[in-house]
Amino acid sequence: MRILSLLLLLLCSLPARAFDLEDLQARLAATPDIAGRFEQTRYLADLDTSLVSRGQFRYERDTRVVWRLETPVEKRLVFTPQDAASLDEKGGGGANGDDDRRRQQAAELLLSLLDGDWEVLERRFDITLAGDAEAWRVDLVPRQQAVRERLKSLHLAGGRYLQTLGLHAADDDILEVSFSDQRPLGADASAATADEDPNGE
Amino acid sequence: MASDPHRPLAWLWAAILAGCALLLAWQLRDGLPSDTRLTALLPEDRQAPLIERASAQLGRPFENRFVLLLTADDLPATSAALAERLSGLPDLARLDWRDVDLADADPRETLGAYRYRLLTPALQAAIDADGGAALVEPALERLFSPLGSPQPVRDPFGLLERWLDAQDDTRIEPWQGLLTVRDDAGTRHALLIGKLAGSPYALSAQQALGEQLAAFERAHPQAELLHSGLIFHAAAGARQARHEITTIGLGAFAGLIVILLTVFRSPRTLAALLLPLAGGLLFALPLTLALFGRLHLLTLAFGVSLIGVAIDYALHLQSDRAIEGSRFRLRALLPGLALGLASSLVAYLAQALTPLPGLRQMAIFAALGLTGAWLCVVLWLPRLRLPAHPATARLAERLWQLTTPRRRLSPWAALIGVTAMLAVVIGHLEVDDSLRLLNPSSPERLAEERQVQSLLGSDTGSHYLLVRADDEAALLDHLARLGETLDARIDAGLAIGYDNLAEHVPPPAEQRANLERVRRLYGDPLATLVARAGLPETTLTRARATLDEVPLLRVADWLAMPAGERDRRLWLGEIPGTEPGMLAATLVLTGVDAADEVAALKQLSAGDDGVEYVDRVARLSTLLGELRRHIAGWVAAALLGLMVVLSWRYRRRAWRVAAPALGALLGVLTLFALTGTALNVFSQLGMLLVLGIGLDAGIFSAEHARRPATWLAITLSTLTSVLAFGLLAFSATPALHHLGLTCLIGLTLVWLLVPWVRPANATTRQESAHD
Repeated sequence: MRILSLLLLLLCSLPARAFDLEDLQARLAATPDIAGRFEQTRYLADLDTSLVSRGQFRYERDTRVVWRLETPVEKRLVFTPQDAASLDEKGGGGANGDDDRRRQQAAELLLSLLDGDWEVLERRFDITLAGDAEAWRVDLVPRQQAVRERLKSLHLAGGRYLQTLGLHAADDDILEVSFSDQRPLGADASAATADEDPNGE
Repeated sequence: MASDPHRPLAWLWAAILAGCALLLAWQLRDGLPSDTRLTALLPEDRQAPLIERASAQLGRPFENRFVLLLTADDLPATSAALAERLSGLPDLARLDWRDVDLADADPRETLGAYRYRLLTPALQAAIDADGGAALVEPALERLFSPLGSPQPVRDPFGLLERWLDAQDDTRIEPWQGLLTVRDDAGTRHALLIGKLAGSPYALSAQQALGEQLAAFERAHPQAELLHSGLIFHAAAGARQARHEITTIGLGAFAGLIVILLTVFRSPRTLAALLLPLAGGLLFALPLTLALFGRLHLLTLAFGVSLIGVAIDYALHLQSDRAIEGSRFRLRALLPGLALGLASSLVAYLAQALTPLPGLRQMAIFAALGLTGAWLCVVLWLPRLRLPAHPATARLAERLWQLTTPRRRLSPWAALIGVTAMLAVVIGHLEVDDSLRLLNPSSPERLAEERQVQSLLGSDTGSHYLLVRADDEAALLDHLARLGETLDARIDAGLAIGYDNLAEHVPPPAEQRANLERVRRLYGDPLATLVARAGLPETTLTRARATLDEVPLLRVADWLAMPAGERDRRLWLGEIPGTEPGMLAATLVLTGVDAADEVAALKQLSAGDDGVEYVDRVARLSTLLGELRRHIAGWVAAALLGLMVVLSWRYRRRAWRVAAPALGALLGVLTLFALTGTALNVFSQLGMLLVLGIGLDAGIFSAEHARRPATWLAITLSTLTSVLAFGLLAFSATPALHHLGLTCLIGLTLVWLLVPWVRPANATTRQESAHD
């Protein structure tokens, strides 16, 4: 799950891309908040079936990622770095409260990675970058054997923005997310798009 | 001068010592097999071997591990620098500091088969409430969240994740690739956990770790380090001991040399006087090692100083010879020397019979050392030709004139004094058996240790409940019930925490009930979930099929898993020496630091045969108290025996022999009572020394009552002993400080008392024959 967060993070933070990771990091730091649409396909090898979901997303640098599912179910998921308490309120309390902590850690890692800290990433992954600034692809393979037992690889691809993101789990499940209609967000636009429902489901 | 028949004996003794030297050289081929654990002195707890085992098992992680908490501005880089320094240490078996270092302990695979029997209380309540309908929404969220890794067949409701999350009560958070904890102020500290390959008492390991940490602190002056782990306390203790040996020890030795040179004015005499010391050590060291295998450092410290008593025999002999000149005869001194040795041997060997391993070792070391030194004095010293400086006789004469009381001690005054002192002692003397005596760590270091423990939410296992039952199911039931009781008390305000095996391995009955709940959950709620998510129909049948064969999670299964490793310390298993099948486990309590909390826990375990509340610290204190009472008892018994011997030889003057020693002890106790200094096991060991030296003084004083030479020897003997032990009063190690303080006061009192109780004239048979 931690890996997935990382992935999501990358997804949100990689719109501008150069040939080496340092360039990329510099561009990430300059990237404004982003909003757009996503289509997520989760292939479940065990059932040989795919779950497709669609919706809107919104990334606010250093603050949070909002994931608003529209089909097949309506849900609003928020991942924030610091404030676990807000998740407790928003994520649905009661029996659901138990796993907030774990997801909190995942989200926290995700958003800290959004800062483009490749140093941290490279501790866990062998990272290869291919292509040019207009059409690039990054492959990440976990360094730790223990992690590879759950996660084979991650890949990200895009041009000006991140366009697709994939995750190959060790049990042959695959998560593919593709993004469209992406646009940078002005500071005044924070009330719009994916965030119109502050109280979640 | 010495008679010929003694010559073969002298050679025989030389041969024995040569053999001892060879044996010692062979024993020391790999260094001195020493033991610095102060607790190794404590008796084995024979009444409660199970408690002993539980305590040892709980304490082990603290002994073999150390924890460093790092505070710095650039935490990742600074942590990496520190980890790089430490990972090169040869004595380090493992160092965990990156979040991935703990990744291989992922419990999902091993625990997966049991998941349908493991439900958190929240899940139990949710299913009991409405069959689990409320769990469908979170499951959908998990299915479609990009962060999740859903398993629609094996675990559509993520039961295992919930279970693991609920159990994950650690305060350690992964952050930027590090393991971190946050304090109440929100400051993040990086965590580095080292596992030692060897003993935390190994000096090489202590030094290597200390050097690396010091080098790191020099390179990163702005970084702050908090230390936890026995190795740091042991290293500090060893450092302190080394420091004191060089200051106090060398100081005492230098003082001794100066005094002896002043009195005897001859380096050769000085060498001859030190010869018995060396002989005693050479005799005691290899034999003690052969008997016990390893030498406790406290035995060495105490024992070596005790052999300092042995120099008394040499002093008596030499003082006599220096003043008597050619009239000197060993035969005249022999009864006094023999009686002096016998009184010390009886006192020490009596302790060798006690059930306390540490005390036994010290006693045997001391007895052997004294015997060796005594034999050196008697067999060798008379044969050595030593110069007799006239200054010695002059000095003895002047000392005699200066210190002989003008008046006699009025018996009535003495009686009133003794009565008053006894009253004070009985009325006011306090005893202290607290464990602080054994702990050489400074308060700052202990506070730091507590700070780290509380930041980590961990414990050193010093308070626990020991639970026994007939079989595993009953034991887990009992543990689970205790957990519920504790929860209720904690909800009601009891500020403690606990670590319970039954939270990780629910009792079989609960596991059965949980499986039933999951069967309910896999009815309508699962069907709803599958339909709303758009999953294929086969999901339903396949998920339900997983519930057909669910193994019961047993304690052995759990403990064998990497995730269960932490709980291995809690499990004691079968109890030896009871009917087969009897099992035991501990429930560790944390944050017990107030008297009312202890009272509540005692009350909790009272009236329940299967549960025993154990406070390790209090227990060790009890053992220390036992040690103290044992010493007192044995010494009193030995004293009674000696009094019989003394009255046989000295008749009605026996009291004069015993008076300096007993008077000094009474004086020490009175002073302690008046100043509020509590009596403890180490001050009692000091009193034992005072008794031994005081009796020697009394015996010699009675044997050769009115001779300046004897008085000079007694004075020198007390002075050297004060140097050897009394200076320990300035030690920062509590044990040595108390020993030293007692000796300082006691020996001074012995010296002050001897002139007052000296017999009016010399009337033993030998003395009259000699004159």
